[in-house]
Amino acid sequence: MSDCLLEGKNVTKHYDEGRIQALRGVDLAVNASEFVAITGPSGSGKSTLLQLLGGLDQPTSGEILFRGHSLANSFDLDSYRSRRVGFVFQAFHLLPTLRALENVQIPMFETKLGLREREAKAAELLREVGLEHRLQQYPNQLSAGERQRTAIARSLANDPEILLADEPTGNLDSENSAKIMALLTGIQAKRNMVLVIVTHESAIAQLAQRTIHIRDGRISS
Amino acid sequence: MSFIRIALKNLLRRRLRTVLTLCGVGVGIAAFVALVGFSRSFEDQWAKLYESSGTDIAVVQKTFLNTFVDESVGEKLRSLPFVAAADPVIVNLMDLTPEVNALVYGWPANSFEMDTLTLLQGRRFHDDQPEVMLGEVLAENLGKKPGEEMDIQGAPFQVVGVFRGGSALEAGAAVLPLRELQKLSDLGGKVTAFHVHLRNGAEGESDQQRMQKARAEIEAAFPGLKALPASVRARNNQLVVLARSMAWGTSVIALFIGALGIANTMAMSVFERTKEIGVLRALGWRRSRVMKLILIEAAILGLVGGCFGVVGGWLTLRILAGLPFTASFVTGSIPPLICGEGLGISVVVGLLAGFLPAQRGARLSPVEALRYE
Ligand SMILES: Nc1ncnc2c1ncn2[C@@H]1O[C@H](COP(=O)(O)OP(=O)(O)O)[C@@H](O)[C@H]1O
Ligand SMILES: [Mg+2]
Repeated sequence: MSDCLLEGKNVTKHYDEGRIQALRGVDLAVNASEFVAITGPSGSGKSTLLQLLGGLDQPTSGEILFRGHSLANSFDLDSYRSRRVGFVFQAFHLLPTLRALENVQIPMFETKLGLREREAKAAELLREVGLEHRLQQYPNQLSAGERQRTAIARSLANDPEILLADEPTGNLDSENSAKIMALLTGIQAKRNMVLVIVTHESAIAQLAQRTIHIRDGRISS
Repeated sequence: MSFIRIALKNLLRRRLRTVLTLCGVGVGIAAFVALVGFSRSFEDQWAKLYESSGTDIAVVQKTFLNTFVDESVGEKLRSLPFVAAADPVIVNLMDLTPEVNALVYGWPANSFEMDTLTLLQGRRFHDDQPEVMLGEVLAENLGKKPGEEMDIQGAPFQVVGVFRGGSALEAGAAVLPLRELQKLSDLGGKVTAFHVHLRNGAEGESDQQRMQKARAEIEAAFPGLKALPASVRARNNQLVVLARSMAWGTSVIALFIGALGIANTMAMSVFERTKEIGVLRALGWRRSRVMKLILIEAAILGLVGGCFGVVGGWLTLRILAGLPFTASFVTGSIPPLICGEGLGISVVVGLLAGFLPAQRGARLSPVEALRYE
């Protein structure tokens, strides 16, 4: 267990005052620099689990541990989100009023970096995802694949240890999907990060070192 | 990219809405600058007027509404040992023509205040004659010269002199013999105030001590009257108090409407950006940073609107200073302080108006906000 970076213990999550039980007691442990895929049918609780792992929300019961510290108490969830975790969404969620270079800087406002440093770092990250020629474009001037690359660069803004991706290729064609997956796995290997990816494509799940199946809010294998 | 840039880009997203909001704030601040600026310069002119007239103390009624003093008070005032002169005055505001509105003073021909006027043309009036002296600006607005006739409230008067005084209020004023003005305003035996000029004090007595002593003795001698230092009277006479409260009352209403505009715009903007705020929170932004972003947007709306407002208010004053109806009280120059105050108020109004929307935005749960469609 010494290698265990992220852990869920008997995690449940209810919505609508208990009418929806999205998670019904999930146990899992993710080791440092591990690549895990979470699969399962739609509505089975995959996104909910990823949001809890990323500190976007609190479980109804049970707990999430980062390096053995519970995210429930004392732990500062905002700084956990901004420093430890990078989040990539299916719908990209870039800010439409900002250029690619500016979107990538958003998480950096929670750090001590100055204006020039933020800009330099954002440019560097966009180069890392192969968008060095698209720095000044607005999201609506970028292709879907380019938008997701920008979002990936943004998720790396504060050098997190954990990258969480919720169906990152769900809005992409197969060619772009493959490119994005190559980019994510490359980043995971190069940066030695934890990568947890939610997907319902078995081809993508197969790239992972381990796959967790979820059904009706429980881990099924 | 700076933090402020994010705020600016958000405001530019809905340009028409932003511009309309700016107009709302701008009108509020323009009203503040024009009205409060006007009332302040009006007040300053009164202060100058008293300063230049040599009046040390004004003796008036204690009550605000019944503002007339019996003329017989003069005799007794003059008999006090420290009083060098005590002359009655009537101050009134009259329509001289449908367009020209002016302050009208009633003085006895030998009032000590007469000595502070410089005659440019003609002569002083004589007591009990239908004669009038005009300030230079008023004479020009009316197109009257000495020797010509004019109508005041239906009675014929002869213009006998044109003068220059120490303040804009005199430049736009008319001076009539006291009795004539009493007749015109149905004030037989009554005057607005007595203006008292004090004798030089005893050796080693400061002006302030002399003033204190004189005021105390006058008030003791005339229960029901109060003896105000001229500077206080200048800033607290009914016309100034009225102008000041109208100015503030109107400005506060206009500013409140401007603030509602900002609050509405920011509430709409937060509502529209629910999902984006969820993204910001998901990416690690603290509630306080979301709050700061929205407050900065609101403050920018306030400040930019305020800049338009200051310019608009200043232009309004310039225009008023050129119109015959108002030229007598408005000098067209505004104290720079009022511009600074206007900008300060605009920022505060923006921040106050943005507070609730900002709090609403900051309280959004990231997960709920991200699911929002
Ligand atoms: N914020 C929420 N409020 C209410 N119900 C929710 C919320 N988030 C998810 N759910 C519900 O919880 C269940 C699991 O959702 P989710 O975790 O998104 O599943 P998946 O990602 O596997 O499709 C679904 O029934 C969904 O409608
Ligand atoms: Mg999902």
